[in-house]
Amino acid sequence: MPSSKKIDRRIWEHPILEFKRGKEVRFYFEGEEMKGYEGESIAVALYASGIDIFSWTEDNRPRGAFCMIGKCSSCFMVVNGIPNVRTCREPVRDGLRIERQRGLPDIPRVTRDEEGLESKTLETDFLVIGAGPAGLSAALKAAEYGLDVILVEDHFRLGGQLVKQTHKFFGSKDLFGGLRGFQIAEELSKKVSSNPKIKVFLETLAYGVFKDLTIGLASKKGHYKVKAKNILFSTGAYENYLAFPGNDLPGVMGAGGAQTLMNEYGIRPGDKVLTIGAGNVGLIVSYQLLQAGAKVKAIVEAMPQIGGWVVHAAKVRRYGIPIYTRHTIKEVWGNNRVEGATIVQVDEKWQPVPGTEKDIDCDLVIISVGLTPDTKLLAQTGAKMKWIPELGGLVALRTKYMETTVPGVFVAGDAKGIEEATTAIVEGKIAALTAVLRVLGHVDKAVEERRQLVQYLEQYRQSPLLSRSRRGIEKATIES
Amino acid sequence: MIMKSELIIIGGGIVGLYSAYFLAEKGFNDILILEKSYLGSGSTFRCATGIRASFTTEEHIVLLKESINLWKKLSRELGFYYEQGGYIWLFRNEEQLKAFTEFSKLHNKFGVPTRIISVDEIVEKVPMINTEGLVGGLFDPIAGKASPFQAVFSLENALKDKGVKIRTLTRVKKIIAENGRIKGVETDSGTFEADKVLIAAGYGSRELAKTINVDLPLNNVPHHALVTEKFKEAFKPLLIDWTYSAYIVQVQHGNFLMGMDIEEKPQQPLYQRVDFIPKMARVATRLFPWMRNVNVLRYWTGYYVMSPDRHPIIGPVEEVDGLYIATGFSGHGFMMAPIAGEVVSEWIVDGKPKYRVAENLTLRRIKEGKFIHEKAVFG
Repeated sequence: MPSSKKIDRRIWEHPILEFKRGKEVRFYFEGEEMKGYEGESIAVALYASGIDIFSWTEDNRPRGAFCMIGKCSSCFMVVNGIPNVRTCREPVRDGLRIERQRGLPDIPRVTRDEEGLESKTLETDFLVIGAGPAGLSAALKAAEYGLDVILVEDHFRLGGQLVKQTHKFFGSKDLFGGLRGFQIAEELSKKVSSNPKIKVFLETLAYGVFKDLTIGLASKKGHYKVKAKNILFSTGAYENYLAFPGNDLPGVMGAGGAQTLMNEYGIRPGDKVLTIGAGNVGLIVSYQLLQAGAKVKAIVEAMPQIGGWVVHAAKVRRYGIPIYTRHTIKEVWGNNRVEGATIVQVDEKWQPVPGTEKDIDCDLVIISVGLTPDTKLLAQTGAKMKWIPELGGLVALRTKYMETTVPGVFVAGDAKGIEEATTAIVEGKIAALTAVLRVLGHVDKAVEERRQLVQYLEQYRQSPLLSRSRRGIEKATIES
Repeated sequence: MIMKSELIIIGGGIVGLYSAYFLAEKGFNDILILEKSYLGSGSTFRCATGIRASFTTEEHIVLLKESINLWKKLSRELGFYYEQGGYIWLFRNEEQLKAFTEFSKLHNKFGVPTRIISVDEIVEKVPMINTEGLVGGLFDPIAGKASPFQAVFSLENALKDKGVKIRTLTRVKKIIAENGRIKGVETDSGTFEADKVLIAAGYGSRELAKTINVDLPLNNVPHHALVTEKFKEAFKPLLIDWTYSAYIVQVQHGNFLMGMDIEEKPQQPLYQRVDFIPKMARVATRLFPWMRNVNVLRYWTGYYVMSPDRHPIIGPVEEVDGLYIATGFSGHGFMMAPIAGEVVSEWIVDGKPKYRVAENLTLRRIKEGKFIHEKAVFG
């Protein structure tokens, strides 16, 4: 393995973004001193310093960065003697000792002090699980009407995936038109953190729904039972995967994972890129990789046509990047990291056409083949679920006010079906207003505000570009 | 279309499958197994996976000792995970130690070589344990553990090879008899005829028996269990902390599976309770302080089907010709399944079980009030 000391994948100059890095910290990776910056996670600091392999599986296959948002288990490492720490969500700090796991880990070498651990039952008007665009806007709206709010987030910062969205939003000023995603995240997070009606639990896992809809929360600080009059599940989504030989080799990464590295932390995920999937995410991330100084070798799409919008496809084509439709990835190869990939044409039955293989010289393969709503926790409430492909899979049936078949249980944002941040923000507010009405009874202003928001969403989704998600929404919506 | 078999087994759990297996071994393979959901879905896949003979009655000790032999043999023949890692019962006061010193004599009498061990010996076998508060233990060297998943799937394959028919997603609604003779069963997908019916339906057994006016005095009591992340093998034996009625075992793939008794009422629907994990964690971390840094992966509930004397009811039902039962295992159905299956096959084919003590386990003892109480039940 090359000496990791000299490698620095951090982006120090970028055409549109400026990365604010915290104080420099020093930690130890398998005995070797390394540096990172406050605000980075362990996995991010390691990747920035050239560490591709985070662990080896039981059959000795290397694993590296994949989702980078705590939804997969590719980044489990031993931190200060504790195995299976999800390092993409553990802040890097001075003096940490990090080791890689080879196969199954040994049991933890250390214990933890129980002193000072809290054990409490909490009551609230509105429990919000997930602090992305839907959750943050819901918490603020409910607090505005005087509700007590508990907001739970398993990451060490607020904002969800808004923090890695670097494009400018469309729409009116109340919906943050003209701002970039991470700026919206900053603004919402600041408001939430300073709002005395909202109690924020960071690095806290809402781990289960129990009898009478009691929610269990666990964090390093303690264990909490929450009894809430209303619960919003704004738990987001996770990335889909593809099966092909070598798909677990470091350097094969979710498009969202690459975005997290590059847009949130300012780290170039690779130099020579092959993108799988020409939907909006694949096209946008390819473009952002170009901005970050990478070379995008090709974009591959199994469908006969590009799935993303023409405007995004035109942007990457302008840079001469070939888009191969009716192609798929056959395999990747490399020793400890992707060193190349083979793509192949597919026929009408999605079968590879022999003799059409092309080798692509690349060190990064980006998988952008869609997202799946993260509804595992929500489903535990007993809310009626339905498989709706247009929304990304299994979703909860809900009214236009975002209430599921379980009274007082709400869903908003990608967890209700894959869309985007603008609709998530509006849905969060609609859910919050419905919770307000359930707690306070009739409030004219809330009814009127909700009516306008519902109407806004309906108009917004009339765009012909959104016909697929509109169809999905129709299938998921039940009478209120 | 009406399908006819010689025997219908209601319940595709481990007991129903082993019963079919031993019957087919005896050449009796005109069997239809009816399972309302998928194989193992009732209590088998929810169990603690432990297998022991360290009980407190002759019936249990003798039969479970034979069950262990069958687990050993069949795991080899059918190719599923079974390991004789032993059990250690942990005691926190002299009274417990004294009671189990007596039980150990009983075990030894019937050929189960348990012995009282010191705290030092506990540490030898489980080096990472916190011994604070422990006064000693009972070591059962012939106890062990198996994978319920692999056992069920191996049995399923073996049964199919032997010509036994299995129908899942078929719920039996009613057992049919005419003039005191079994005729078949009525299900949600039609009627199936048979000369004999075996009720091996776990927590559904009581309701099924009612449809034919047989009263099984069984109570379905919810129990709770959880499993952690997996690690390299840390210790082999299943541990029982008798004070808390709790157990911890490292299962096949390295996860720690554990459970303990928490207050529950019989016949309650299965609910996950927010207090279970913290309560279980307190016991687990008392034994293993490093478990404070171990994550829980899953938590689930299942029923112990409790009989009045905590022994199963196995054998023919005298009032109805052709009706057999194998249920009420009181939390020990998985470990007892091979011997229960063998006993069932002997009742059906030979008219009488090989082991004399097995004759004591029919429904008659309950009707006559001849209870044989088991004291070593936990979890």
